[in-house]
Amino acid sequence: MATTQPAQHPRRSMIYRILREAGAEFEALADAAVAMRYADGGDEVALARRLGLADLSPLARTGFKGRDTPDWLVTQQVAIPDEPGQARRQSDDALVLRLSADEHVIVSDLRTRSELPATLDAEWQLSAERMCYHMPRADSYCWFAISGECATEMLAKVCGVDLRLDKFDDGRIAQTSLARINAVIVRNDLGTTPAFYVLADSASADYLWPCLIDAMKEFEGGIVGLAALRALV
Amino acid sequence: MKIVPCPLNGPRNISEFAYGGEVELMPDPNTSSSEEWAEYIFFSDNPAGVVREWWCHSATSYWFIAERNTVTDEIVRTYPASELFKERVEFKKESE
Repeated sequence: MATTQPAQHPRRSMIYRILREAGAEFEALADAAVAMRYADGGDEVALARRLGLADLSPLARTGFKGRDTPDWLVTQQVAIPDEPGQARRQSDDALVLRLSADEHVIVSDLRTRSELPATLDAEWQLSAERMCYHMPRADSYCWFAISGECATEMLAKVCGVDLRLDKFDDGRIAQTSLARINAVIVRNDLGTTPAFYVLADSASADYLWPCLIDAMKEFEGGIVGLAALRALV
Repeated sequence: MKIVPCPLNGPRNISEFAYGGEVELMPDPNTSSSEEWAEYIFFSDNPAGVVREWWCHSATSYWFIAERNTVTDEIVRTYPASELFKERVEFKKESE
């Protein structure tokens, strides 16, 4: 696919300038450009298996909140997790995060084949009878992925929750403090590679990204493009 | 670090939480005197012993109730606010 520049698209990652400086090669994805790989990135797949950090902020995501949200999502054919603090993969590989009994976030799959976030955004309508409120997350959350066998050791430096693989199962969610900012951390293994999605306040993305890179240094981790993560699945 | 058992998120460092004051039942805003209202808003009983307090888990903006011993600073129990407050509080104007 042809490379592009983020500024040519209506939506762009909150940290696209940092990624551009790092040598990102962007590709168009719906209404945004995503960092697919990096110049001089070397073997990014091997890096992603050891410790990789990727920016997924341009990918689709949305959210809904309110007492009737679980029922409404079920009517939309969404398989919601049984309990808060759990994520559930859909048949099209989209991921549904149940943050509390009533609050759900839906994130796209890495290959962006799922249309679930866009479909739900289009289907939702405000109703006085139904307590289900739209919480668009594409602009309020940045979305990073941390992958690799050293991911849990690195996260232990910046997060107080025990995320070790034998303590924190695939599909579990921790809403906690990450490098001193509030974040949603979801374990979402990519194939056999342990991986975590991080959703955090988009206004803090400029701060969080370099923090994570700094924490990764001692494990010789590095930034990877979306293509490397796709290769793991 | 002191650990708080959040009813939604499980055990978390206390640095993730904010204290929200003692749990007190709100006097009727239409019939209470200014003194009663001021007492409710501004003053704490501050007893020595187990008290019910509001706490908020900042990462999830989740408010819940904790029973804490103010003498030993031990958190005896935490539970969702829905255990105490089962109905939505409606504010009606006097004219209604």
